[in-house]
Amino acid sequence: MNNLRRKRLLSVVALVFTSFIGVFLILKALNSNLDYFYTPSEMINIEIPDKKRVKLGGMVQEDSVKRNGTNISFKITDFNHSIDVSYNGVVPDLFKEGSGIVAYGLIVDEILIAEDIFAKHDENYMPPTIEISKK
Amino acid sequence: MIGEISHFFTIIASCLFLLSFIFSTRTYQSNHNIEILVSRVFSYGFYFILISFLLYVWLAIQSDFSIKYIAQHSNKELPVFYKISSIWSAHEGSMFLWILFLALWSQLFNINLSKKNILKAPAIGLLAFILFGFLMFLLFTSNPFEVILPIAPINGADINPVLQDPALAIHPPFLYLGYVGFVIAFAYNTAFLIKGDMDINWERVVRPWSLAAWILLTIGISLGSWWAYYELGWGGYWFWDPVENVALMPWLAGTALIHSLYVSSRTKALKSWTILLSISVFSLSLFGAFIVRSGIIDSIHSFANDPQRGLYLLGFSAILITISLAFYAYRLPVLISTNLVASKSKEAFLSINNIIFATLIFAVFLGVMYPLIFDFMYGERISVGPPYYNTIFAPLTFLASIFLVFSVGSLWKRSSQLFFINSALSASILLSTLITLYLVSLFNDFNWWFVGGLFSSFLILFRYLILIIYSFYEGNYFNKASAIAHIGLGLLILATTFNASLSYEKVINIKPGETYTAEAYEFTLINFDLINESNYDSVRAKFSVKDINSLNKVFFLYPEKRKYFIRGQITSESAIKITPTKDIYMTLGDQLDNGYWVVNIQYNYLIRLIWIAAGVMCLGALATFTQSYSKK
Repeated sequence: MNNLRRKRLLSVVALVFTSFIGVFLILKALNSNLDYFYTPSEMINIEIPDKKRVKLGGMVQEDSVKRNGTNISFKITDFNHSIDVSYNGVVPDLFKEGSGIVAYGLIVDEILIAEDIFAKHDENYMPPTIEISKK
Repeated sequence: MIGEISHFFTIIASCLFLLSFIFSTRTYQSNHNIEILVSRVFSYGFYFILISFLLYVWLAIQSDFSIKYIAQHSNKELPVFYKISSIWSAHEGSMFLWILFLALWSQLFNINLSKKNILKAPAIGLLAFILFGFLMFLLFTSNPFEVILPIAPINGADINPVLQDPALAIHPPFLYLGYVGFVIAFAYNTAFLIKGDMDINWERVVRPWSLAAWILLTIGISLGSWWAYYELGWGGYWFWDPVENVALMPWLAGTALIHSLYVSSRTKALKSWTILLSISVFSLSLFGAFIVRSGIIDSIHSFANDPQRGLYLLGFSAILITISLAFYAYRLPVLISTNLVASKSKEAFLSINNIIFATLIFAVFLGVMYPLIFDFMYGERISVGPPYYNTIFAPLTFLASIFLVFSVGSLWKRSSQLFFINSALSASILLSTLITLYLVSLFNDFNWWFVGGLFSSFLILFRYLILIIYSFYEGNYFNKASAIAHIGLGLLILATTFNASLSYEKVINIKPGETYTAEAYEFTLINFDLINESNYDSVRAKFSVKDINSLNKVFFLYPEKRKYFIRGQITSESAIKITPTKDIYMTLGDQLDNGYWVVNIQYNYLIRLIWIAAGVMCLGALATFTQSYSKK
């Protein structure tokens, strides 16, 4: 094998090796930062590990919104089951009873302590799972 | 009537583009007259589509609600500016604009390229084919000219109030101009691959066009981020939303492309890689169009779902990319340059950063696609949040900054001395280490990304500062455009690092007459005003804010909540006070039963510097553009 060929071979091996490590690290970062998305019915049946943040999608249940100071608590429902949610902060403009939202946070004592509340910027928005379960 | 003319002109344009493409396939027998014909017919096609679009703008200004699209997205009471911008507020119209820009870039290229260039006919023919494909998509799946029969509605349905904003109205045009601008590099390089004449100097032709597209894409992304910051009321500038990510991927690939083009025009190395990048940038732009317009991924920005549209876009993009990649694979053996990259040369450092950029693109792509893959494989819905992107982007950006600094002062095709032998390099390492240590202890933040962000940004800034001072005294040449652009990058890293570390928010309860003290500010809610505007009612709070640190200077903040009449939609208008180091950002929440209001106060540090930095980067790229354009 001449020198140039050996150099080329070495660089190819190095490239393959580093890309394997790169892909491995990226996948590892990906897997440790996934947020699972549930509907209330799914969430009731699933054991969620501690300190694992989740997304909960559904409708804000009618007559469930209670405010206490800067805190707001309400239920997210998919018309079969509902989950209590508590949030400290300003809710999005499109948040109202009966509107579709997604809450993101940790489950503590069967209550979702939300860090973020999202409402789609579209008045016809419905979380996709609700649309499926309504069909 | 005008609607029909506009529609008809678009159909004629499609036919002309098809004709231009067919003629271009004849040029392989190298008949000179046909080459002129290709270019002429293309020009006619462009004029027809241009007039068609201008007529459509006229229809929108006239509020012609017999056109279904205009009736659904505009309104008589809207100011003229928003009547026009309503054209690109939804799928059909924005696709029309996208195609117009595609035609505009292609026509500029058509005019600019010398008749003698043997790649002109195939490149213009390919552009004509791309335009024809997208026009068919427009006419058959997303027709903006569809009319309402038999009677037009009296008034339109209005556009979403959050979209009635100057930055939002102008950011899609810039984004589209940026996205589709990379079509020139794609088409010309594909034509080069088809012809296969290795003596053609395609780098010189493609470089200014790619730079121009990059500048416009950067402006578009910055404007979008600025709009999201002040309009959505969340106070952030980037959310790693899928739709933001699909704009980021062509940007990253475009950034890699303009650097790689620089290398291959100077050293003849990296040719095959540069061509692959030019194919990738446009492919990623097409991928973005597919993601946004197919509704395949749930995002707050996505247009209405329609699988048929998604299928067409995916199919047509696949055809384009396959053609291009097939010729690429065919020509690869001759493309691979025998010029090896010398170690520790300028092109070596640029190549390493190219690999880093490719990794970033791959990571974003995976983040966007992973929810789909996961759903398909496990039937579970997941989303990939900001922590994933941060863990990948932060360390790789730091690494890229180091190689960038190495590349400054290194030489083309020659190995350069590194580290302590190079006094400018060691001086900048020393200075940035000292200032990082100082700032880390000052802010008492020992997070790895804070340390890394500060170090890499100061490293870049000091290295270029030393370069400028040194060249000033010695009278040496240095690449001023590159210095400006990379100083912009240094400032961007600095701004995002400080912003992430120092910003915080507070949610308070307050009622009129009360005062709340947060840090060095006293917020007093004075009163509420009810305001009646032509298209909305508004409740506006008046806060007086006393700055304790600067001689009790008082300023006022007016956050408000609006209710728009036509859609009954409620929006919040944040109030922002700009200070040299931070923004005080206030959003009005809901009123409670006991008369209190929920109010959110954010302190966003150095957030202005993010957009200033983006502007500086654009200036640098503009300087490079003028240089490379005149050299062309």
